[in-house]
Amino acid sequence: MSDFHGIIYAYGATVELGELVRRRTAASMPFCGRYRLIDFALSSMMNAGIHNVGVIMQRDYQSLLDHIGSGKDWDMGRKIGGLRMLPPFGLPEYHKGDYTGTIEALNAVSTYIDDIKEDNIIMMHGNTAANLDLADICRSHIESGAEITAICTRLDPDYRHHRYDPDENGFADGIIYNQTGSGKGFASLEAYVISKSLLTRLMADCAANNSYHFHRDALAYYLGQGGRIHVYVHESYARRIMSTDAYFRANMDMLDPEKRNALFPKDRPVRSKSSVDVSTYYGENAKVSRSLVADGCRIEGELKNCIVFSDVRIKKGAKLRDCIVMRGAEIGENVILGNVIADKNVRLSADQTLMGSERLPIVIPKNSSI
Amino acid sequence: MKKSCIAMLLAGGQGSRLYALTQNVAKPNMPFGGKYRIIDFPLSNCANSGIDTVGVLTQYRPLQLNSYIGGGQPWDLDSADGGVFILPPYQTAGENGSWFSGTANAIYQNIGFIEMYDPDNVLILSGDHIYKMDYSDMLREHTESGAACTIAVLQVSMDEASRFGIMNIGGDGYINEFEEKPKKPKSNLASMGIYIFNWKKLREYLIADENDPASDKDFGKNIIPNMLRNGEKLWPYRFDGYWRDVGTITSLWDSNMDMLSNTLIDLYDPKWPIRSRGSVCPPHFAGENASIVHSIVTEGCVIEGKVENSVLSSSATVAPGASVLYSVLMPGAQVREGAVVEYAIIGENTVVGKGAHIGQAPDGSEAWGVATCGPNINIRDGASVPAGAMIYTSEEV
Repeated sequence: MSDFHGIIYAYGATVELGELVRRRTAASMPFCGRYRLIDFALSSMMNAGIHNVGVIMQRDYQSLLDHIGSGKDWDMGRKIGGLRMLPPFGLPEYHKGDYTGTIEALNAVSTYIDDIKEDNIIMMHGNTAANLDLADICRSHIESGAEITAICTRLDPDYRHHRYDPDENGFADGIIYNQTGSGKGFASLEAYVISKSLLTRLMADCAANNSYHFHRDALAYYLGQGGRIHVYVHESYARRIMSTDAYFRANMDMLDPEKRNALFPKDRPVRSKSSVDVSTYYGENAKVSRSLVADGCRIEGELKNCIVFSDVRIKKGAKLRDCIVMRGAEIGENVILGNVIADKNVRLSADQTLMGSERLPIVIPKNSSI
Repeated sequence: MKKSCIAMLLAGGQGSRLYALTQNVAKPNMPFGGKYRIIDFPLSNCANSGIDTVGVLTQYRPLQLNSYIGGGQPWDLDSADGGVFILPPYQTAGENGSWFSGTANAIYQNIGFIEMYDPDNVLILSGDHIYKMDYSDMLREHTESGAACTIAVLQVSMDEASRFGIMNIGGDGYINEFEEKPKKPKSNLASMGIYIFNWKKLREYLIADENDPASDKDFGKNIIPNMLRNGEKLWPYRFDGYWRDVGTITSLWDSNMDMLSNTLIDLYDPKWPIRSRGSVCPPHFAGENASIVHSIVTEGCVIEGKVENSVLSSSATVAPGASVLYSVLMPGAQVREGAVVEYAIIGENTVVGKGAHIGQAPDGSEAWGVATCGPNINIRDGASVPAGAMIYTSEEV
């Protein structure tokens, strides 16, 4: 796949993610026991043989840098090309705060974009739990002869999203903006394959008009000029993580073997930062049912419908139901938790009870002790 | 670049007493303790001790071991002026070359490699021991004692002593006698097969030993006794942690079971991580009716049956209604619906068919033993494999 270059948006997060993104971007949110959300975008590219990838970041990127390192876990630590982390470096002086739209983010790293040698660019969001078959997507993009391919999902999201309604040839000549739930056509994953020449043209046009948004400004302009968008429908699991509630449900989806196998197919493995954890030990009184547990844990209590990250201690008598417990947490004896998301390194002393609800899980902030 | 100490890891042995398990792979490549392969222990010890140059001497079935070690990156041994090097026997101009004929001969044949680093000392390690040891502390004692050779020794019980090479210590603290498997041991300090030699001295002895046609070319049988005979100073480095030789089915099974107790060997110690190469798998999944007690389970496993007192390596599966008791499942082993695996070792990617029964609990008889199925075997549905059996191929059952 030498003719494709990857760009991953890994900045920012929606306010609906609340406490979970206080010290990290959405792309570096821990997912399914041992991953970070950005692993899906990176692995999708790696599995299609795409090794030249830029990751656009802006603020709160310490956990992201720590996770990605040189990119060698995704075969992207390369002498020639490879992975580049892209903090803002082309911003106008007056710019403060978050990027207003993806075009603004691209213009902030425009010198990097200019230097891209490949003819096509794959753009993905780091906050998406989807294992895309990019080799097939790229093939379909080339065969269609389109300048741009929109990657869509058959699943209807419950957050606001854009949709494409392709004709029988697989092309759409309009965008259906800001839908919630189902509707005509397919929901956009806001992932695109675009020719470099079109992208730089759209970026220049937006920069000249002080406009920032990829859909509202750039694509609207392109469609207005008579451009058409090729639509590719990703049939398997895909969720963009836009809220705490969606984060919780997408994690819980992984307890369903069918959904888990869809996101982790054998022929397109998801890579992550390699760990040095030992295997997990279950004690004499441990009970576990319908749960995913990463390495390095010591489980002495009871787990039901839980996602447990590595290096977690669940002490004797503790009972956890419908919980997500992130790396390094220690859950004391006889603690009872239901619908709780315990962020990294949380310490809960003995005999406490915390119950959230399915639609409103309780989030215990990173590093807190209760 | 000159090094104070480099390590030479002897990983060429067949491990013939592991039978079916090592029919296609070298013993150091044997999966161990859920997450590891045996060679992870000495390699991690080197990395944690600050030894950045390791020669791995391979001979028997080296392919999987070579690809496992690769560039040494999982152990941080991919350094710019050092690293981990696979050293197979090789041909030289005008000669046919030869296989390594003994532990000392293996090092003798790689004198050229060692001289590239001009080390003051050389650490000799085995690829078949499970232990955590700080070689830098052993090197410090070696330097302070001014010995030609320092030998790591372990206190064993007096009844066991006759199974080991035993070091007798003189009044000055140095080793004054070495007895291989003595009938009447005078001490209970057993050699662990870990040596630090002054390189110049070792080089002399290796060359002399090579020229002795009667020699077995072995460290324990030849080099060490020759050094003692010539009055060289040999210092014992006393080690009191966990150490096991996993050369037999029983000891491999025993030491895997030891991993269930973190009082024997603490693998959770962040100061001394044992590192391994592993592909990233999703966390292990315990199904609705799973039961897992006093066991270790590794990522990629899918457990829907019962697991007790067992060690499960990555991506092993236990189907609904199956039981795995007091057993070791190596990576990718599958136990199908209703099968029972007890007191057994199941090799990599071996499938135990539905309703099959492998192994039995000890019945007190002399004949009892751990049942073993080699790698990549299909045990047919409903088959029965008795205690102590050794299964090499699918056709046997």
